[in-house]
Amino acid sequence: MKVRIKKWNAVATWRWDIPDDDVCGICQVHFDGTCPTCKYPGDDCSLLSGKCGHNFHMHCIVEWIKQESSKGQCPMCRQKFEWTDNPALNAPAIVAG
Amino acid sequence: MASSNRLRRIGKELADIQGDTASRIKAEPANGGSDLGHLHASFPGPPETPYEGGTYVVDVILPNEYPFKPPQMKFKTKLWHPNVSSQTGAICLDTLGTAWSPVLTIKSALLSLQSLLSTPEPKDPQDAEVASMLMKNPDQFQRVAREWAIKYANAPKSTQWETNIAHSPTNSRPKPQKNISREEQMRLEAARYQGYNKDLIDRFVNMGFDIDRVVEAFIFVNIDKNNGEDYELEEAYMGDITARLLGEP
Repeated sequence: MKVRIKKWNAVATWRWDIPDDDVCGICQVHFDGTCPTCKYPGDDCSLLSGKCGHNFHMHCIVEWIKQESSKGQCPMCRQKFEWTDNPALNAPAIVAG
Repeated sequence: MASSNRLRRIGKELADIQGDTASRIKAEPANGGSDLGHLHASFPGPPETPYEGGTYVVDVILPNEYPFKPPQMKFKTKLWHPNVSSQTGAICLDTLGTAWSPVLTIKSALLSLQSLLSTPEPKDPQDAEVASMLMKNPDQFQRVAREWAIKYANAPKSTQWETNIAHSPTNSRPKPQKNISREEQMRLEAARYQGYNKDLIDRFVNMGFDIDRVVEAFIFVNIDKNNGEDYELEEAYMGDITARLLGEP
């Protein structure tokens, strides 16, 4: 039997390329959701990964770093928070579904 | 917007605390209301301490900037502990101040308080009187802390703690008890003020300083005794006294 595909719709889901059960330590919302100020997850509400290895919603960590009391430190390990340009994190991983 | 984030997180935290029965930590909106910015929380006194068996109620205010600013916590239950004011319940704990981080939670802060009860730190006191008792007379400190736990925190009169203390050799030996009359006691007390008015000195004592240290600071700064009458101190003198008490140059 031969099948000729006349038309097809690609469907994909995406998720951040980090462990499944991770929540943002600041807002306590799962990384696949948005930070509490945003409506849609994705490029508009990206994650930021510190050189120390700790991840947060960008909006959450920026809000913390703005606080004088943060002293520029990572909320998890209190090392100076510097972000990496880890492409795996800055671009969502596409998982075909 | 910012406040709805805060409420969302507080709601999650309360659900988490209610779901965790093992820690025996409780938290709910104060006075049965629906305001998530003001909570009443409680935790059991840690075992093998004078606080064992007691329940400690903490007033929790979550500022608008929470979790970027720490929750404001103070004890509603009176307790005798060097890092908690015996008068107001104010708490001296770095994680509730400069060392706060937004990944900490109401529950983690309450666990820190519980652990603070097991590890008093008299060198960084909130209540100078309690701290000095703990350093000079640890047995008496334990006794008073226990009395307060029974009186204010509903601790049963007999727990594992009493059993252990009663059987420990250092605590069971008889202590020399001086029987002094009430008049004698009052005379000794008056002598401590060294001619200064009691109310005048007590205004500093109420801030948590030891009477003798306040009187010493008054003498150091050369404050007028005013024949033992109360009077208003000039601000500059107040500053000098406070500086002396806090050990600043």
